[in-house]
Amino acid sequence: MPSMRGVFLPRMDGNYLEIVMPSTISRRDFLKVGGATVGAVLIGQFIPPQVAEAARVNGLLDATNSGYIPSMCEMCVWRCGLLAKVDGGRVVKLEGNPEHPHSNGKLCPRGQSGLMNTYDPDRVLTPLIRVGKRGEGLFRKAAWEEALDLVAQNMLDIQQKYGPEAMLFSTTHCLSQFQFENLLNAYGSPNYGTQRSLCFNAMIVANLVTYGMEEPARKYDDLKYIILTGRNLMEAISTSETSALSQAIDRGVKVVTLDPRFTKTAAKSSEWLAIRPGTDLAFHLALINVIISERLYSFRSVNNNTSGFDKLASAMPQYTPEWAAAITDIPADNIRRIAREFAHAAPYALAHNGWRTSNFVNSFQTERAIAILNALVGNWGVAMFPASGEESGVLGAPPQPAYPRVSAQRLDGVPWKYPFVPLKIGVFQEMREAVLSGTPYQAHGWFISRQNPAMSLPDRGRTLEAFGKMDFIATIDILMNDTAWFSDVVLPEASYLERYDPLNIVGSKAFIRQPVIEAQGEGKSSLWIYKELGTRLGLGDFFQYADEEDYLKQQLAPLGVSLDQVRQKGYVELPGEGPDFSEPAWNTPSSKIELFSTTLDQGGFAAVPQWEEPPAPPAGQFYLLTGKVAQSTQFGTQNNQLLHKYSDEPRLWMNVKTAQTLGLADYDLVEVASSAGSIHIKLEATQAIRPDCVYLTPGYGHLSKGLTTAYGIGASDSDLHVTYTDPISGGQALSQTFVTVKKI
Amino acid sequence: MPEIKDKTFLFDATRCIDCRACMVACSVENKIPMNKTRIWVAGVGLKGEYPNLERTSMVYHCMHCNEPDCLSACPVGAYSKRADGPVIYDSKKCIGCRYCMNACPFGVPHFDYDKGLIDGAFIDKCTMCTQRIDIGLKPACVATCPTDALMFGERDELLNYAHNRLVAQPVRYLNHVYGENENGGTSYLILSHAPFGELGLPAVPSRPVKEVSEEVMGFTIPFALGWGAVLTSLAAGVHIYNQKKEADAKKLEAPEPQTEETK
Repeated sequence: MPSMRGVFLPRMDGNYLEIVMPSTISRRDFLKVGGATVGAVLIGQFIPPQVAEAARVNGLLDATNSGYIPSMCEMCVWRCGLLAKVDGGRVVKLEGNPEHPHSNGKLCPRGQSGLMNTYDPDRVLTPLIRVGKRGEGLFRKAAWEEALDLVAQNMLDIQQKYGPEAMLFSTTHCLSQFQFENLLNAYGSPNYGTQRSLCFNAMIVANLVTYGMEEPARKYDDLKYIILTGRNLMEAISTSETSALSQAIDRGVKVVTLDPRFTKTAAKSSEWLAIRPGTDLAFHLALINVIISERLYSFRSVNNNTSGFDKLASAMPQYTPEWAAAITDIPADNIRRIAREFAHAAPYALAHNGWRTSNFVNSFQTERAIAILNALVGNWGVAMFPASGEESGVLGAPPQPAYPRVSAQRLDGVPWKYPFVPLKIGVFQEMREAVLSGTPYQAHGWFISRQNPAMSLPDRGRTLEAFGKMDFIATIDILMNDTAWFSDVVLPEASYLERYDPLNIVGSKAFIRQPVIEAQGEGKSSLWIYKELGTRLGLGDFFQYADEEDYLKQQLAPLGVSLDQVRQKGYVELPGEGPDFSEPAWNTPSSKIELFSTTLDQGGFAAVPQWEEPPAPPAGQFYLLTGKVAQSTQFGTQNNQLLHKYSDEPRLWMNVKTAQTLGLADYDLVEVASSAGSIHIKLEATQAIRPDCVYLTPGYGHLSKGLTTAYGIGASDSDLHVTYTDPISGGQALSQTFVTVKKI
Repeated sequence: MPEIKDKTFLFDATRCIDCRACMVACSVENKIPMNKTRIWVAGVGLKGEYPNLERTSMVYHCMHCNEPDCLSACPVGAYSKRADGPVIYDSKKCIGCRYCMNACPFGVPHFDYDKGLIDGAFIDKCTMCTQRIDIGLKPACVATCPTDALMFGERDELLNYAHNRLVAQPVRYLNHVYGENENGGTSYLILSHAPFGELGLPAVPSRPVKEVSEEVMGFTIPFALGWGAVLTSLAAGVHIYNQKKEADAKKLEAPEPQTEETK
């Protein structure tokens, strides 16, 4: 019999599981400080009146509220289409939607486990207001009215006292991002943080200066040769692309993988090159050297599509395979052979631009070299295509007034220090540094949505210090994530299976994310939260939609399609003929693929890629590598019990021979230390890593005790990572941290 | 009457990336408790010495033998082999004797030590998702596999497909379809680049273990019955002797009408 303490949540088996609100708070404390909604929120009825009724009307659910409802996954940012199997008003299974090009009927382990995020016993289901010290984990429940009023009041106070620029806004790539940006632009703050600078800024900025687009689309159908750099597709799964690579391998395509670790992608590759960290640039420069000096490039492509070939060619002779061999630890003969094979396979050859190459300060030039390599062999229209933009003019939008003028500088240095970084991407880690230095001005408040800087930013100690500088922090999430743990107000979002989001365009279709069950507790959609907050901030004109359905109806208005039709089918066909691949339009100064970048030249940076020697670990220290596993996404899925069930214990990988030299054995508890901090973790002595590297799975080492499944497991790389920013792309050089390892 | 087609899994170890989507999908579909699983990754995993390495992973679950040993070992008839392939079991009949665990050459059925006799359902294993295949869906593990390492279909067709692959890509695969004949043939066929032993698969003879065990079991039942008869008659003899003795004693004490007593 559950007591009245805490919150009751449905468990997988349909029984009720009692959970206590985060931390050690007792019921006594709870009641003493408690607000309007103290007591149990009993989710006894799983019959969702609105959601089920609408689904029944649409013929998706039968009279017993059972059937399949199409929607979209949100376990990572790939957004696979899904079919949620609902039984008696509960989600019981998720299937990939065969009609969605990102899933093709499949879901990865994270997608399959998605319903456990929704039914996580640790869900935050009411707004919470901090009552203890920051990081102590003492909160009381509050009504939405009170919590929203409190957030708005603090934001207005900060605006009045210090100006709107003193308020930081940060979020992660998500479907409601446009309305988040709407809120910050209407409020008038220039300070916007995304996670991109911790991920693939180098790739985006390099593609922008080379191709005039963030990330060209890739197609594997006809490929014969693939070079993978910084893209561990078999572990960092993007369902459709992982499937496409697997099918290509099955057809017999040659795959060369550069990685200091023997990843699961390396294991499926034809050739694994255990390259020295930070030297991918040298490898690619040498490929370009061979392809130019042996005249293996596509004359037609170079003449028709590119500019600056002569300037490139004159800079390359020094980068011979012999030169690169000494730097990369890859024999010159292999480099020369791979260059020839790659050019021979062209145009059915792809040098993948990678996502996680932003790991050294020279990574921008690595990405430039990869972009140039593709242009030289002329694979445009065969392996690479213009990306179909998610933004499209065909959908409607609620009317809104113009944003206020923002005169304050951005704290992250974009564009005054980082002129090439797009404003909507930013340099997150530099924003944190500016909070600490108080220059060019002091920030006082931080509004965070579905993001966890306490885990994602390098040098966690400094992030927690930055939290300390804040008068006010508010976080939106479905869980008590580590940043929420340090926040003053936590606003509970409805999970992705419980809410609407704006439509998402993929190819020639716009897909819908719709609730498949009624929101549990008091979880609300971001669309609702931003509107409510905007209204309280006096910015109601910027949020001219009555509710989520009204927002979607306004999006659909120009198409003449009803929301019910879209809900039923899961998507709507867009008018027009879809993306046109025949006429490439490169949005660069020369309207060509820029081998020599005039933009970089004018900015005073190397206009053709040139070798930059990255720092290497001093004797007795190791490169600290991070990388994905298939069972987790960043920092937000470790509390999912189903993923936890099938995840490996996160340990520090070290080469067996290195471990022997240091007198370390498998499962020894070791202390890993960098100039930023230290962690304790168990050792995994393995053959699958270079002897000069160690590797740590990111996303563990949570601080929040509100994550009862994940808390206490592993350690966080953010405790070790030193903050280094690439001066061109603003990317955080994640592998430029060197560590010592010793037995405890 | 339409011909019943024998359904089969085909697992291609060269395509498995050890992502474990199958395991999660199975867990959700079949409502498996958090501390249990019907699929596990078997085999040696990483092999070799840096930098000459190989990695293997095997999605291991019930082989759905054509001649299931679990079935022949089960004293209460809880197991059955459906004509369309799956080896299923009725947990209500299970008495928890665990003979099937010992009998299975692949070590598949596992016992739930957390449950008592009263709860039933002691043994758990893959059922080929009969609830799905009966309505034309693929088993949960197959349906979600992002790399098509798991396939599902009619046994004849998949055997054909597997052999075509072996012919077309002799370098890629070992020239053997595991499960085609192993233990009399199974409804889980496996193609591999690595020796099957490295995937955790036992070397079992083509002749079903069941045949051997049934020979032994053939003696067991008469043996058990024989012993049963001996013991029963002994017990009966003792009982009759005791009753007689009791009656004699009572007769000696007081000659009263006898009351029926049941033991």
